[in-house]
Amino acid sequence: MAEHDFQNPEYYTNREMSWLLFNRRVLSEARDTQIPLFERLKFLSITASNLDEFFMVRIASLKDMVHAKYSKRDIAGMTAQEQLAALNTKLHEFSALQYETYTRELLPLLRENGFCVVEKHEDLTQAQAAFADDYFEENVYPVLTPMAVDSSRPFPLIRNKTLNIGALVSKKGEKKEEEIDLATVQVPSVLPRIVQLPSGNNGEKCVILLEEIIERNISKLFLNYDIICAHPFRITRNADLAIDEDEAEDLLIEIEKQVKKRTWGEAIRLEVEAGVDRRLLKKIRKELSLEDEDIYQIDGPLDLTFLMKMYALDGFEKFKYKKYTPQPVPEFEEGESVFDVLRKGDVLLHHPYQTFQPVVDFIRTAARDKDVLAIKQTLYRVSGNSPIIAALAQAAENGKQVTVLVELKARFDEENNIVWARKLEKAGCHVIYGLVGLKTHSKITLVVRREEDGIRRYVHLGTGNYNDATAKLYTDIGLMTCAEAIGEDATAVFNMLSGYSEPLSWNALTLAPLWLKDRFLYLIDRERRIARAGNPARIIAKMNSLCDRDIIAALYEASAAGVKIDLIVRGICCLKVGIPGVSENIRVRSIVGNFLEHSRIFYFENNGHGEYYCASADWMPRNLERRVEILFPVYEPALQEKLMHILQCQLEDNKKAHLLMPDGTYKKQKISQAEAFDSQFAFCQEALKEGRKKDETKDKRVFIPEVPASEK
Amino acid sequence: MKTFAAMDVGSFETAMKIFEFSPKNGMKEITHIRRRLDLGSGTYEAGKISYDKVEEICRVLKEFTEIMKEYRVDAYKAYGTSAIRETKNTMIVLDHIRQKTGITLDVLSNSEQRFLDYKSIASKIQSFQSIIEKGTAVLDIGGSSIQISLFDKDKLAATQNMKLGVLRLRDRLLTLDTKPGKYELLLEEMIQSQLAVFKKLYLKDRNVENIIVVDDYISALVRKNFTGFSGKQMRGYIDSASYGVFVDYLRAHTDEEVAKRFDISREVVPMLFISATLLQLMTRMVGAQFIWAPGVTLCDGIAYEYAEKNRLITMSHDFEQDIVACARNISKRYMGSKRRGETLEKISLTIFDSMKKDHGMGKRERLMLRIAALLHDCGKYISLVNLGECSYEIIMSTEIIGLSHKEREIVANVVKYNHLPFEYDKRGREDSSLDEKAFLTIAKLTAILRVANGLDRSHKQKFKDFQTTIKDDKLILTVNTAADITLEKGLFQPKADFFEEVFSIRPVIKQKKVY
Repeated sequence: MAEHDFQNPEYYTNREMSWLLFNRRVLSEARDTQIPLFERLKFLSITASNLDEFFMVRIASLKDMVHAKYSKRDIAGMTAQEQLAALNTKLHEFSALQYETYTRELLPLLRENGFCVVEKHEDLTQAQAAFADDYFEENVYPVLTPMAVDSSRPFPLIRNKTLNIGALVSKKGEKKEEEIDLATVQVPSVLPRIVQLPSGNNGEKCVILLEEIIERNISKLFLNYDIICAHPFRITRNADLAIDEDEAEDLLIEIEKQVKKRTWGEAIRLEVEAGVDRRLLKKIRKELSLEDEDIYQIDGPLDLTFLMKMYALDGFEKFKYKKYTPQPVPEFEEGESVFDVLRKGDVLLHHPYQTFQPVVDFIRTAARDKDVLAIKQTLYRVSGNSPIIAALAQAAENGKQVTVLVELKARFDEENNIVWARKLEKAGCHVIYGLVGLKTHSKITLVVRREEDGIRRYVHLGTGNYNDATAKLYTDIGLMTCAEAIGEDATAVFNMLSGYSEPLSWNALTLAPLWLKDRFLYLIDRERRIARAGNPARIIAKMNSLCDRDIIAALYEASAAGVKIDLIVRGICCLKVGIPGVSENIRVRSIVGNFLEHSRIFYFENNGHGEYYCASADWMPRNLERRVEILFPVYEPALQEKLMHILQCQLEDNKKAHLLMPDGTYKKQKISQAEAFDSQFAFCQEALKEGRKKDETKDKRVFIPEVPASEK
Repeated sequence: MKTFAAMDVGSFETAMKIFEFSPKNGMKEITHIRRRLDLGSGTYEAGKISYDKVEEICRVLKEFTEIMKEYRVDAYKAYGTSAIRETKNTMIVLDHIRQKTGITLDVLSNSEQRFLDYKSIASKIQSFQSIIEKGTAVLDIGGSSIQISLFDKDKLAATQNMKLGVLRLRDRLLTLDTKPGKYELLLEEMIQSQLAVFKKLYLKDRNVENIIVVDDYISALVRKNFTGFSGKQMRGYIDSASYGVFVDYLRAHTDEEVAKRFDISREVVPMLFISATLLQLMTRMVGAQFIWAPGVTLCDGIAYEYAEKNRLITMSHDFEQDIVACARNISKRYMGSKRRGETLEKISLTIFDSMKKDHGMGKRERLMLRIAALLHDCGKYISLVNLGECSYEIIMSTEIIGLSHKEREIVANVVKYNHLPFEYDKRGREDSSLDEKAFLTIAKLTAILRVANGLDRSHKQKFKDFQTTIKDDKLILTVNTAADITLEKGLFQPKADFFEEVFSIRPVIKQKKVY
């Protein structure tokens, strides 16, 4: 057999290109005619907000590298310059496809179904126009701040991601070319972008976008000027935070500073209306020092994220999926304390099919329970008005020792987190503001309880954040247990997070950045050795992204040795399938569905002694090397079965799954309606059935005598 | 159920273990928290702990008190070891810590510390008793010194402290102007010379099969990560051949490689290397077959001691016997008379026990009396004339495992005043640590030992069989013997006077002649 260099850059896909493919898959949902119309709007909105973040973070970072003359090549052997060049074409194509979807497919369909988006203010009916002008006077005009640029007034700060209208103006009566000035006004973000208009002639619902109303009335803003032209534009800026933690005296202050600074980042993308006046474009471009390729001429409304708001408009329910309510978890019968339940055995939670409530209850109960001594938790992203924060604060007020690690470095969430951290501190919690140089991404809660027979520790470990809002949208796994091995390790985790030395040994958990990568490499290599010895070997791994070179090389090596590998990777995947002698045994699928696939599940067959793990980490260098992450095993056979069921269903999914092809593209399987299997839908049905089972016994007005356990 | 926190302010690390004692589970470790805090380096050289480090201790201990609250700990015990012991300003440091943290930190003498380590080993396993029956040496490696203890049958036979601690050796190596490659050889030279003396003195032809190692570096490795070096052995065991392979690996690899291979932090590798070399030289010297690392720390011993005192667990091993056995061996080394020592021991203990109500002393004082009796004449090895002074000096410079420095000083004084006039105005020597209570203990024990000594004046064990009764301020010693006790009776007067002075009880000899 030919020897392969498994680290050969040819065997890897560039991570940004792979990310674009992911966003393309999301876009394909928006283009899928089988999906309800308003759901398609939502998917299109997601591609837009995804793209914004991509520019702010990834493109910005590549540009930084180019500025810094950083010449190191990436996993696929490309320099930053080469990546930017390759991405540029693709990004323009992508943007075009987004708007083609919007204007050619979605808008006509909306109109057909009685929902009219008035694209140009010129198209308004008389009644609508009158309404719009009135609306402008009443609501919009008071909050506008028009700004003119001339020799005495510099170009104003255009904030990141804000929508603005740029206009060329000249003093009334003067028409000379050199006397033309630039003026801008921000489309106020405090007002809804979508303005509902009086119904159209055929009784259809009509809306118009706020910027059109402003454009229509722009002359009212610059009274002493003639308006030559007015067009919306939008800037995306560099938002990557690079905090030098060694130099920061106080991390908190540093991040507060950075948050304020963010809007001042370098401009990296300019979106303008297609057909914009060339003189206007030239002026804006000069002020922001942008290159040609950074300019996106958009055939449609800028910033499609408003579609999420459109989705949320009342009515049109038949064009939306029926809202799914997360179901109760059968293990937690009403009236039984969460501690009693866990003493009987571990519980596995599958969100959002099952409700996040047991986790909230776990902390709430602990806060009130007189025997609970301490609660410790890591918080990464919390929802606004989080019940968990409230429970933790209450626990501290009840005299429990509460230790909370609040990760301030969670991207785009810093401001939110600082507020919560302060609130917790006030309540008497011991707050740790993250670790120097590392992001704490692990999701773990420890409750220490003094019971009759001694100290007992209850632990919740999760793949997703302690965020009751996203828990309704993200698929995640949670494990609740009071197993001693995990409890001891959980204590050790918090000791380490508080700055104490590592434990002499771990029982069950594996932590990044110190041990996790080696652990994964070991587990993969173990399968390889098993295959080498001629035994069947198999790995099934589900995660969000896969782009760690060492892990991929190990997977290639395992595949070459005959290990059957199934990967369920929602987002970025730098691994290539079907390379002869390298990755012929690897299959990769990506599921993009109504819920965001977020759980990380790992199965290693281990010669018939299957091992099951869940983790907070993806197979990405940032997870394995620069973050605190936890990999936790699932031991109980019944729970292992559940995990295997989840993995199997996802492998059988042929409706929402895209398969990675050897040519690097993703394709959906062609199947008939009857054969179609949607794993997320199936999980919903199962959870409904399980939840209902419980309801049936509860609601009947008959008492049901309990039978002895042996007869069950 | 009781929860207890044991804290150890060590020379390289400050640690706390929290334990739970219950009838069902016995002694159970709940959590083990460690914070790297290098007090040793600097202190051994300069003789003083720096202000910064004291502040650092305070900060860590303060955090520990928070954790203690978290587990609602019922009691705690905090000990400082060599770094605190060897600093000149110990009292000031301790007071500062108490003021700032509310924690009373006690300082362990070396012999107490080693005894606790030893107790912690015994606490760890059921099989301890059977292991030590086979000829065992305990190598206890600390930051400042090492302690080697030998077991004979199932009792502690000898124990010796050597200033070959890991941090001390490291500091010494750093002051030598040499390449790291030379360290190994230098280390061997430094260690070997002292080990050779130990061998000559104690080992003779003792057969040592097992070495029990207590340290902060090797033990952890032996317990967790020895795959590839030892076969399928029990956790914590390694045979000496495999151990040799391991040491060879250490020699052949860089610090980085070792850190990666064993998953330890890079900065402890030099200490690991020193520990490993110490252990290997020891293994070679005694020709041991097996190395056993129970993985105990001082904290285990502290908790065990607490449990012992509060009767929270049942003991499987009688530690007092170890202390007594040690004293016997010391006496033997200085050619003390075994029989006379035992007679004295018996007589003085009989008196002690019969007067419990009158002297108010406890178990610990009884043990000191016993050791004083056993060592009463060790000084005669040097001089028959200056018996008192010489005995005192010998005891003061011999480690008796399990006794604190103060207790040892009491024993030395009791032995001294057994031969010399009692000094009322002087509480031991200038550098003595004796307080009023200790002084009284010395007086009381001296009075008893003198009477016992008086009863065996002729060294012929005439008082083998006697009873004591207390009646109207008189301690009546009734002897059943046909022998002539004129000598004893005649010389008894001054001993009885001192006894009466101390206890307000007059000892009287009554002979019941048995024909």
